[in-house]
Amino acid sequence: MNTIEQQLWDYIDGNLDENLKKSIEEKIDSDPQIKLQYEEFLKFNLTFSNLDLEEPSMSFTRKVMEDIALVPAPVSLKTKVDTRIIYGIGGFFVLSILAILSFIAYNTKFTMPNFDFDLTFNFDTGKIITPTTINIFLFVDLIIGLVFMDYFLRKKTAQKQL
Amino acid sequence: MEQKFTDLELIQQVLNGETGQYALLVKQHQRFVFTLALRFAKNREDAEEIAQDCFVKAYRALGTFKQTAKFSTWLYTITYTTAMTFLRKKRLETSSINEDDTLIQLENHISGFNANGYEKQNSHAFLNQAITLLAPDDATIITMFYQGEQSLEEIGEALHIEPNTVKVKLHRARQRLKEKLQYLLKDEVKELL
Repeated sequence: MNTIEQQLWDYIDGNLDENLKKSIEEKIDSDPQIKLQYEEFLKFNLTFSNLDLEEPSMSFTRKVMEDIALVPAPVSLKTKVDTRIIYGIGGFFVLSILAILSFIAYNTKFTMPNFDFDLTFNFDTGKIITPTTINIFLFVDLIIGLVFMDYFLRKKTAQKQL
Repeated sequence: MEQKFTDLELIQQVLNGETGQYALLVKQHQRFVFTLALRFAKNREDAEEIAQDCFVKAYRALGTFKQTAKFSTWLYTITYTTAMTFLRKKRLETSSINEDDTLIQLENHISGFNANGYEKQNSHAFLNQAITLLAPDDATIITMFYQGEQSLEEIGEALHIEPNTVKVKLHRARQRLKEKLQYLLKDEVKELL
């Protein structure tokens, strides 16, 4: 839909680029019919722009303030989720999965010709799973858990206040 | 002299615990919100109820308001949604110029108009009546564009539609509005427009 009427409205609203603007200006100047239509649209715009807004009753603001007095005061939601935390958690799990998969692949013996699929673990887990690694693992888990709990509790509190 | 605060300053004050400042925000926007509500409700009592509901909803959600956007646009989104919900609840029929009831109502109105002529007050009443005869969406776009001085982008944001769609809808709404005015005022439309 790109009638002359639409073009005139676009011109009045300032939605035309320079070329189209010049073209419509030429049309307005050369064609009296288009000029008349343009003037009519301008008058329409002016009439509706000058239309007064309706006024609510005098007690409107008071009624609103009485209503909101019953509502808990709003608080700013400063709990913006830091995307780095999310990516950090995601990265940790991806790395864990990759480490497990690598560990499995490393210990898997594929013997295709005989279909000898030896999945024996010739790996001394005692060297890796030490009390220190377990403590580190549990500590990281604890931090992730606390971050999630904090996020969840803040979100819940904010929702209650709305 | 009363200090003039911007919307964002007032919001910040309310969020900091000065809840009384919300009254200033209400005063700044109540006329437009009420006018917009009136486009849906058709009577002042219902419109006032909708407008009141909008301000309470906005107050509750004030903490979630992203202060990078315009408060008015955000408030008009709430107004539009609340008014639409109200319409659905009340099952109000959208007035159409072709409906029998409207015709009877309009003819009465027109005869009165022809007899008395019009003054500025009357012309505004007719313009408002013509807007009221539009479908709620058209009336909203016309009201937001002319009376709310919102850009196509802001209207699109408030109504959750693309600015280009707003442009097309605005064009159609203007055409329909002109038709309604011509129907209402007949030859005298030329004096008004």
